[in-house]
Amino acid sequence: MSALLEVRDLHLRFGGVKAVDGLSFDVHEGEILAVIGPNGAGKTSAFNCISGFYRPTSGTIDFEGRSIMRVLPSTITRRGMARTFQNLRLFKEMTVLDNVKTAMHANLREGFFDTLLHTPRYRRAEEACAREAQGWLDFVGFEGDEQLYVTQLPYGEQRRVEIARALATSPKLLLLDEPAAGLNYGEKQGLMRLIRKIRDLGVGIVLIEHDMGLVMDLAERIVVLNYGKEIADGTPAQIKADPVVIEAYLGAEDDEALDDTTLTGMVATVDDEVPPSGDAGGRSA
Amino acid sequence: MAPQLDLALKHAPLRAPAPLFERGKPASGPRSQPGFMKLLGALAFAFLLALPFIDASAYTISIATSALIYVMLCMGLNVVVGYAGLLDLGYIAFFAVGAYVSGILTTVLDWPMWAAVPATILACVLAGIIIGGPTLRLRSDYLAIVTLGFGEIIRITANNLDVTGGPSGIHGIPTWSFGDWSFRDGLDLFGLHFSGTVLFYYFVAIVVATVGIVGVGRLARGRMGRAWKAVRDDEDAAEAMGINTYFTKISAYIIGAVWAGLAGQLMATHLTAISPNSFHFLYSALILMAVVLGGMGSTPGVIIGGLFVSLAPELLREFAEWRYLIFGVLLVVVMIFRPAGLWPATAVLPWLRRHKPQAWPATAPLESLGGDDRAEVGPAAGARPAPADPRAQDPADDGEVRR
Ligand SMILES: Nc1ncnc2c1ncn2[C@@H]1O[C@H](COP(=O)(O)OP(=O)(O)O)[C@@H](O)[C@H]1O
Ligand SMILES: [Mg+2]
Repeated sequence: MSALLEVRDLHLRFGGVKAVDGLSFDVHEGEILAVIGPNGAGKTSAFNCISGFYRPTSGTIDFEGRSIMRVLPSTITRRGMARTFQNLRLFKEMTVLDNVKTAMHANLREGFFDTLLHTPRYRRAEEACAREAQGWLDFVGFEGDEQLYVTQLPYGEQRRVEIARALATSPKLLLLDEPAAGLNYGEKQGLMRLIRKIRDLGVGIVLIEHDMGLVMDLAERIVVLNYGKEIADGTPAQIKADPVVIEAYLGAEDDEALDDTTLTGMVATVDDEVPPSGDAGGRSA
Repeated sequence: MAPQLDLALKHAPLRAPAPLFERGKPASGPRSQPGFMKLLGALAFAFLLALPFIDASAYTISIATSALIYVMLCMGLNVVVGYAGLLDLGYIAFFAVGAYVSGILTTVLDWPMWAAVPATILACVLAGIIIGGPTLRLRSDYLAIVTLGFGEIIRITANNLDVTGGPSGIHGIPTWSFGDWSFRDGLDLFGLHFSGTVLFYYFVAIVVATVGIVGVGRLARGRMGRAWKAVRDDEDAAEAMGINTYFTKISAYIIGAVWAGLAGQLMATHLTAISPNSFHFLYSALILMAVVLGGMGSTPGVIIGGLFVSLAPELLREFAEWRYLIFGVLLVVVMIFRPAGLWPATAVLPWLRRHKPQAWPATAPLESLGGDDRAEVGPAAGARPAPADPRAQDPADDGEVRR
């Protein structure tokens, strides 16, 4: 079976900075691929190239066998690729439900005069739109009030809404940029299950993640980036044993095994520098 | 349900699973948000209809007519600034286009006024595309400067062309006529004699403003309106949702242009004369102020704003020279105490503020709740790292998409 997404030899430069320096990978339907690497490794830049926001310096990107270089981000989304953003980018002055409905823009049969004259087509489209949006909100496990403005939600719920919004574009491939950032342990577990549920719908998933424990559990394949360069590509077991990866991630401490606890610990030390915020864990049932 | 969905949705590879529970019908009584707004609108409409029976003096009706024209203008600018988030400092130019196109067609070419309506709409759509096409690719601060220039270009062009009558403008714009009968002939209705043309324009203005208000409200709540607001809130995220932000912005611009053009035609017939002085930058600023003052993206707010900027100078007339000072001070005070406007778009009616959020029914299967297994958020979770402020995690990563 041919790949859903094929990235070949992708390069992106910002002046002297080589943000992405030779990246190649494939993603298939219903597959979870993780992209990992230290901060500034070029993961987000690679996502921005694939989703059409940056124009790569060189390389090719094919989605379902067609090139998506120099194609507008909105067109790429319409062809079936959705993404989330590392720093939540919800529509802040819209309600939760409207945020998700907005993502159905391209798939809705509702013309200008339908809206203006409230034709039966309009009512049908709006009903279907609301129903789909509610379906996605329920699917991601959003339990809050969908009539609230998104800024009124706790952080974890906002993350869910962002995933629901991406799903509402009806994607074949979903790019998730650090979806677990800022979530507590319980929320991360929920997120992992959600990602598997999305995969089970047949959606291909590319996941950028810092939490190694989470990635090792979830991904079928892992691509490791360092300074824009792809330094490894393999199964979680291969990556765990790869000396180059251990070197890049842990530097001198290479006697420590690259496992769950080490890396969770690494993240925890970063976390500890800021006081725990109330809203990140505010999902009391 | 499924065939209904197929009619409403284009082919999409992925459909949402059915919602886990049926939401009740949204509240619609007079105490609910939409119900209350409808009631308020109906009352305002009734008041407008009753006004000539209360006070039919030419002064009152004429003031009320221009207030309605202002409201129409504000509704149009609200689409551009309030919904789509595009700062337009030359909005009055489209008002001028509407006024001049209908003025020229009816005086030079002797068209009847009603026939000029589609021509006005067409001219404004074209003007919107011509101005918006190249400029809407610009970031918003450049857009403000370009639109400012456009406003001035239209005014100065009108000032210098022969067909627009130069500095003295166009005079003797005819009234609405349908075949043999025109507004000038008068009409007896409900014991009220519509003698002059003034009263007719008032009713035409009511119809146009009502259509304008209801139309913008509907558009804002539909597919296109959601796209406008998405572009306003986050352009990149809107693109990522499959919204072509460029066309979305142009569509908002065109709607704004058409609304202003229709208001311009109303004014041309109402005043029977137009001149370049009526389209000074000051009016662009005034309309923008009305929108910001009332509350960007809020229909009731913008109506209040429009009424305020058109009526306040009249109500303050007895203060003579002082009235613009008082006007300015009032504005500053409002903006200090209500920075989001008099009636913000996000305002919730006071008695609805403490409404109970919808709850998941107890029957919803636990594992279907997005997989957030509460059993795992037990004591074990307490031993794990505390949840942190996500923004602090990666301080180097400030902007997601830097262009
Ligand atoms: N728009 C931009 N202009 C200049 N440099 C950029 C831009 N975007 C990213 N970079 C640089 O590219 C490198 C990779 O960044 P990024 O892709 O955000 O890394 P990651 O997501 O892996 O943490 C960094 O050095 C960053 O400073
Ligand atoms: Mg990143």
